[in-house]
Amino acid sequence: MTKKRKNLSRFFYLSARLILGVIFIYASYDKILHPKAFAEVVYNYQILPDALINVTAIFLPWLEMLMGVFLIVGFWMPGSVMWCNILLVVYISALCFNLARGLDVNCGCFSTTKGSSISIETILWDVFFLAFSVYLAIVVFGSGFSKGSN
Amino acid sequence: MFIPFQNKTSKTFGQQFLQSVWQFGAIFALAAFLGFSTNQFRDSRLPLFEKWSMEARLISSSGERLDISLVEAKRMFLEEAVIIFDARPNGDYEKGHIRGARSLPWHEVDQRFMELTKDISVDTPIITYCDGETCELSHHLANFLLDLGFTNVRILVNGWTKWQNANLPIDKEDTN
Repeated sequence: MTKKRKNLSRFFYLSARLILGVIFIYASYDKILHPKAFAEVVYNYQILPDALINVTAIFLPWLEMLMGVFLIVGFWMPGSVMWCNILLVVYISALCFNLARGLDVNCGCFSTTKGSSISIETILWDVFFLAFSVYLAIVVFGSGFSKGSN
Repeated sequence: MFIPFQNKTSKTFGQQFLQSVWQFGAIFALAAFLGFSTNQFRDSRLPLFEKWSMEARLISSSGERLDISLVEAKRMFLEEAVIIFDARPNGDYEKGHIRGARSLPWHEVDQRFMELTKDISVDTPIITYCDGETCELSHHLANFLLDLGFTNVRILVNGWTKWQNANLPIDKEDTN
């Protein structure tokens, strides 16, 4: 790998970490401040049983916050990247499920306030973020993969 | 595909995967610890378990049903025996609302409730509404008014849609 190519790939890797990290921190902030409102958003998705709604509303924003911080500082990258991919796949699935059954709910993606209903656009944004996340997974696990397959 | 640091690590994929599994668990535990401990020390602590069914949310803290049928709401409206509050954002209210309803958006309730409730006695029948079967704004507003001491507050669930579908009187703000 040439030096220029190496620098470029390092730039992509750091950019992906930074973008996803900032997005997850931004997404978690309002939910941490307003857990009750976020619990309502979770309820409105009509996916989880009652017993898991408040627990999810308490736990999930902190998971996003931790992931965001870890991605930015580069701490526990394999675990953080794994969570990042799983969460984005879960979010996309939940959004698609509710869009398909025509449920008009507040997305709750970045804020707990009313006004951002789920739409194709919301899903496309998440798919866009998932592309970054998959790229990070390839980078983080890729080196070990190539080593292990030798 | 740009893959940096490809030769940097000496870990195999298996080792890398095992490492990610314990980190995955550790992040889960840390997030749970932060979430539940923060919640524990919060002023408005969220209970771990709560009844979220529509029926449960339509029961007041004193055990009374808060919802009102469209037929009953219509009767009270025609008798002019009720004050109706629209809990949606002001922009939605201006696009159209139940005739005579007062706009008291839930997100501005602290700033506006004094002005909008000063002429109402505590036993006046009040109906709150918003739009959508899962809309929470009217629930919040109804409970807020009950907490203030109003004794006769009801919720017309999915009120705006139901009212329009029944071709009952509405008003629109003149935006010109």
